[in-house]
Amino acid sequence: MEEIKMSVNKTNEIKSYLSFRLSEEIFAANVYKVLNILEMRTITKIPQAPDYMKGVINLRGNVLPVVDLRIKFGLPITEITVDTCIIVLNINLDGGSIMVGALVDAVKEVLELNDEDIEPAPSIGTKYNANFIQGMYRVNENFVMILNIDHVFNTDELINVNETADKLNTEEIKE
Amino acid sequence: MEQFKKKYVEEAVDLIADLEKSLLELERDFENKNVIEKIFRVMHSLKGGSAMFGFDLIDNFTHHLESIYDNVRTDKIKIDDELLNITLDAVDHLKSLLNEENTINPNFIHTHEQKLEIVKQISNKVLTKNTVQNVQQKIINSNYRTYHIYFKPDVNIFKNGTNPLFIIDDISLLGFSKAFPNYSGLPEFSEIDVEGCYIAWDVFLSTSEPFDLIKDIFIFVDSECEIKIEELASFNLMNDDNFCSFLTQMYNDGYKIDIGLIKSNIKIIENDFINKEISVLDNNRNENVFINREATISSIRVASEKLDDLIDWVSELVTIQARLSLYAEHNADSEIGSIAEEVEKISRRLRDNVFSIRLIPIENMVTRFQRLVRELSHELKKEIVFETEGTETELDKNIIESLNDPIMHIIRNCIDHGIEDSETRISKGKKVVGKIKLKAFYSGTSVYIQISDDGKGIDISKVKKMALEKQLITDDSILSEKEILDFVFLPGFSTAQEVTKVSGRGVGMDVVKRKITDLRGEVDITSEINKGTVVTVKLPLTLSIIDGLLVKIEHSHFVIPLASVDKCFEFKHEVFAKNKTNIIYAGSEHISYTYLRDMFDMQDITPEIESLVVIEFNDTKVGMVVDSIVGQYQAVLKPLGAMYKKQDIVSGATILGDGTVALVVDPIKIINKVIDN
Repeated sequence: MEEIKMSVNKTNEIKSYLSFRLSEEIFAANVYKVLNILEMRTITKIPQAPDYMKGVINLRGNVLPVVDLRIKFGLPITEITVDTCIIVLNINLDGGSIMVGALVDAVKEVLELNDEDIEPAPSIGTKYNANFIQGMYRVNENFVMILNIDHVFNTDELINVNETADKLNTEEIKE
Repeated sequence: MEQFKKKYVEEAVDLIADLEKSLLELERDFENKNVIEKIFRVMHSLKGGSAMFGFDLIDNFTHHLESIYDNVRTDKIKIDDELLNITLDAVDHLKSLLNEENTINPNFIHTHEQKLEIVKQISNKVLTKNTVQNVQQKIINSNYRTYHIYFKPDVNIFKNGTNPLFIIDDISLLGFSKAFPNYSGLPEFSEIDVEGCYIAWDVFLSTSEPFDLIKDIFIFVDSECEIKIEELASFNLMNDDNFCSFLTQMYNDGYKIDIGLIKSNIKIIENDFINKEISVLDNNRNENVFINREATISSIRVASEKLDDLIDWVSELVTIQARLSLYAEHNADSEIGSIAEEVEKISRRLRDNVFSIRLIPIENMVTRFQRLVRELSHELKKEIVFETEGTETELDKNIIESLNDPIMHIIRNCIDHGIEDSETRISKGKKVVGKIKLKAFYSGTSVYIQISDDGKGIDISKVKKMALEKQLITDDSILSEKEILDFVFLPGFSTAQEVTKVSGRGVGMDVVKRKITDLRGEVDITSEINKGTVVTVKLPLTLSIIDGLLVKIEHSHFVIPLASVDKCFEFKHEVFAKNKTNIIYAGSEHISYTYLRDMFDMQDITPEIESLVVIEFNDTKVGMVVDSIVGQYQAVLKPLGAMYKKQDIVSGATILGDGTVALVVDPIKIINKVIDN
């Protein structure tokens, strides 16, 4: 896969979201947060770091930390395939901005969404889940969870998205 | 013009700092002629510049200061404590004069006039009794003495690794000298042991240094060498042309030095010398000044951004060079191999040079601390000496600048809270004079600055009580001494009974800690009641490139800073597998080791032969077991970033020639971990 570069004009007005797959779930992040998509490469593990901190890679001569979002979200780990990617994100952390790589199972597509397309996150699940999930978008039978990327990377804790996902699926069946 | 003015101010700041330093040096030895000359010269340069750029107040003020020191150096007046105090005060005043905004403030002008008046008065005061008698006395007793040193090293001196020429060099550093080899001990050609030393030396030395200093040079060799030191004259013979040519002549005639002949010659010279010197002194007293080498100050000012750029480029170059070396290794072409080697050599030197440009010795900030100790101890009526060690240790300029305030604060604490007043010290049976010591040294990739005092120390129970009062801990909390001491770094935490002007408000140590953390450093405190307190500040060398040992575990590469590597050994895997104690006999000592594989959670197939890398810090040696040693590697340090801020064994990462990332381990953290276990 070639590196895809996103051009960013006016950050706040962008209503485009990059969707990606983690295990069986689909998530999305605003493209203005996305700097780069890299193919999978050797990740150097850092000893004695939390499991979800996958390690570091060389990004054009700089060291980029990589987070395995599947572990962070408590999702089952799938094998690395040709689709496995590292999305380079620009994160606001403690007042500064840093670059972080997010390991995902596959990158799907760029969604152009209007505000009204995005449904609020269900009010169930643990309290802080609402913090991490900005909203939902329905594609056919499935939901895409739109992540508040800054918040996701600003916590050291694991985030349980399963609860939310389960709830969504049961709601789906009811309908 | 503005831009020149700015340059002048920069220069003036440097000159004033120089002046301050020299004055403090002078305090230790009022008679030190060199320092007085230097003070005079600096004042002179300062005056010249200020007149040129319209700083008339400084010009006028320094003019009077200069006259005072002109009198000092011509012995018209004597340096004493009072004069020194006034001068130091004047130096402070000069600093504020540099700020042009001050000079329009009428209050300031008023103080200026007062200070100027004081200085003027002294500059007009001149010692009147200035007779020839006086001068003559001065010359005969002048600091210079001339010695004859006969030095015959033992035949086997080379076997101890001593180079006698270094000793001759050391002697020549003391003053003016001439050395003549003496071959008389040379045996027959057939009996010469090629590794033996048969030469003796006759050295003639004129020096102002004390006799003991000459003896000290031979301290390590005096048991195995024949050394005779004899005073020939109580003045400087070596600047006497007649004597020098006499010596050379005599030596060339027979390759022998005849001391008896020399002594009789000296008698003649001695009489001549005194007469001549007096006339010289009387006639051209003022022309006798600038003999010291003015040329030593040769430097250029460069904007620091330019240096930053340069460093970035060198870092890139080093990374690329690693790629080239890797490529050359995998290609059989010997030509490219030798080119790669050359490039490596050059980039290494380039790197060292570029980094050293930004480094300045800690010496530069020590003057301010000396001043602080001097003034504050006067004010608090305590007797304190300030000692420094390792001030040649170099640190990045930026770090040194931001380090000033925190260290100043630490020292202030030592003076105010640490050192007791004289009576208390006597009653405790301590030396009356308190001691504050600043010690700087390198260890691994860090610089340590240790500030210790021999004062009363920190009362742990007091700190604990305080912490209880502030509800930081509960009665049943079990804390180590270190944990309790760490409370002093909390904001608003002070055990000082009364708030003094100097300290005790509890703002301070928290700021110190924050400032040092900002520099990616650490601060640590240990204390013993009635013995004193030691504050250790650890700072990273900002050197973003280090020399490292590249090692491999599984498929991961790690870099161990070479500075902390002591030795490497190879062992069979079973040796480690069977060993239950984690202590191994390697080289000639027992070394406790850690299995990095376990520490880093990498438990796969181990190779048959593994390597033990012994690292050393503060005389503690610890081994680390790795799969294999790849070799030496110049690592461009890249920070791991905020996401890994909790990580401590690994201090950074570096990119290898093939693009993969290797981790740089912090040897001190590993040693601590091993010791804790």
